[in-house]
Amino acid sequence: MDASLRWTSGYLELDPRDRRLATLLAGSVLVALVAAFVQVSRGSFPTPLGVAFDVITDPDILFNPEVWLAIFTGSDFPDSLSQSAIVIWSLRMPRVFVGALVGMNLAVSGAVFQAITRNELASPYILGVSGGAGLAVLLTLVFFAGATFVLPFAAAAGGAFAFGLVYVIAWQGGTNPVRLVLAGVVVATVFQSLQTGLFYFLDSTAAVKTAIQWTTGSLIGIGWAQFRLAIVPTLVVVPLILLASRHLNVLLLGEETARSLGMPVEYVRFGLSTLAILAAASAVAVAGLVGFVGLVVPHAVRTFVGSDYRRLVLGCLFLGPALVLAADVIARLALMPIQVPVGVVTGLIGGPYFLYLMRRHGEFSEF
Amino acid sequence: MSHPDSTTATGTDPRSETGDTASDADDASERDEQSSAAPDANLHATDLRVGYPGMDEPVVDTDTLVVPEGEVSALVGPNGSGKSTLLKTLARHLDAEAGDVLLKGKEIATYDAKEFARELGMLSQHASTPDGVTVEELVHHGRYPHKGFLEGKTPEDEAAVDRAIELAGVEELRTNQVGSLSGGQRQLVRIAMALAQETDTLLLDEPTTYLDLRHQLRVMDVIRTINEERGVTVCIVLHDLTQAARFADYLVALRDGEVYDWGRPNDVVTEELLADVFRVDAAVSYTPTPEIVPKRALDR
Repeated sequence: MDASLRWTSGYLELDPRDRRLATLLAGSVLVALVAAFVQVSRGSFPTPLGVAFDVITDPDILFNPEVWLAIFTGSDFPDSLSQSAIVIWSLRMPRVFVGALVGMNLAVSGAVFQAITRNELASPYILGVSGGAGLAVLLTLVFFAGATFVLPFAAAAGGAFAFGLVYVIAWQGGTNPVRLVLAGVVVATVFQSLQTGLFYFLDSTAAVKTAIQWTTGSLIGIGWAQFRLAIVPTLVVVPLILLASRHLNVLLLGEETARSLGMPVEYVRFGLSTLAILAAASAVAVAGLVGFVGLVVPHAVRTFVGSDYRRLVLGCLFLGPALVLAADVIARLALMPIQVPVGVVTGLIGGPYFLYLMRRHGEFSEF
Repeated sequence: MSHPDSTTATGTDPRSETGDTASDADDASERDEQSSAAPDANLHATDLRVGYPGMDEPVVDTDTLVVPEGEVSALVGPNGSGKSTLLKTLARHLDAEAGDVLLKGKEIATYDAKEFARELGMLSQHASTPDGVTVEELVHHGRYPHKGFLEGKTPEDEAAVDRAIELAGVEELRTNQVGSLSGGQRQLVRIAMALAQETDTLLLDEPTTYLDLRHQLRVMDVIRTINEERGVTVCIVLHDLTQAARFADYLVALRDGEVYDWGRPNDVVTEELLADVFRVDAAVSYTPTPEIVPKRALDR
């Protein structure tokens, strides 16, 4: 009683923005947990809710080194597991974890790009990443049809290449947000056209479907291998971006002010873009080009907690996974047995969200 | 902090260009003081040429420019005379095509970015202030050059921010959102941010433009105070010649990117200057600061 009272009064003493951030984090965790539970318990192999709950809280599985080994090295799951446990842990659980990583990376990446370009409507794909990744995937499918295992690397490399090209085009003794965005449009437009053209060279429906999955973003067929692929860059990039939030705040004050404060603006901007591209690439490599998450999530978090990046990045780390997990539940289960790419659902959620903002604010606030 | 002796770098005293016309007794005695201890140059530029890409003619082309240590200097001139460009060059926002700029005797290009920002602050004309940030948080950004990459707030930062907020007279706004402030209040807060940098030199680009009279006076008051109490060297671009003459210790009049005249306001502000530089026919009376009564614009 005493403790909870102290906790309550402590909560009330907080800065209102911190209070809203705490509420946002708690809400996101709740949504993510519910979505994850629905995701692991539903599907073509039915597992009653009670059984699913038992499986994911079973200490014999959670603290079983063989299970951990299977997750982190790709060895087989132990035979002692029940059939439900195998289905949940080897098929459904990785999709939840990868979805969370994708949401996290895209949201944080979008937040960084919105600061770098000083444009609230920027997304992780604004500097050509989507064009580059899409084109690389299509090229791989057309010329190396069998080599689907290289697709993640092709997508990430294509995105990074396009980003480099954007920087080269935008560079003229230095860059600025407007030139970067325009160069992004140039590269994305050309690559997008090439990519669309390449669709006509795909010779099977399966290849077309794979291509669409990559270009709209999908979590179908995700396993622990994809989790292992995405977790490493995430663990590097996300803490770095959290640490860089003070620099993002200074960048928001405008280029001239940042320079007056002693920030080497070009270096910082390039470094932060590289981090954000890495985050976006690790999401693209496992899930393809999931749209709207990197645009909507930072925007939504900003309306709650303001544009201080220490709060904003933290909020993105939680709301991003919540959005992707909830959207993926719909993508996988709504039209059973047909699964749609999760990018279709995030787009269906993201579009109306902006409509709501338009109706509510009439205009988008400027930084 | 030791101030390297820069008299050798200064070379000729630019005031000699202005000639010895003043006969005001007050001014003469001040002049004697000055000549016995000639002001060291805080900023000293030689043969400076600055242009923008795609333009043939440089926007700034000056032989010598001196910003004296511990004084308030104002850059004045008509639109397009290169005042802001010159100020931006001194602040390293623009690179000069040719020429040297020394800050305390050291070439500005050789300073490390943060080291430079600990020596020289610059209040730009255009700046954005993000939403959802309080005055105190904004002023804290002024401590950026004093911190390492990962360093958090230190007691020194807190103290510097308190001092800056008090000096700028914005204590009552401390917890307000910056987005909710009026233009004049916002300018005072931006000045507080520059003060939190605790530099020995402060450059300001038209800090009073678009402000109402009361806030113009408050801004000027704050700048005077930091100059007198902290000995901060100030170089300020001002639009209004009368205001500049009343406010500054030295005026630098620019015409087409060149220094037309340099010196004490009473020596610089003359009917001839108004005709030559501002292309205005005006009467100037000294009461004792120059009062300007403009009559008509002169034809080109």
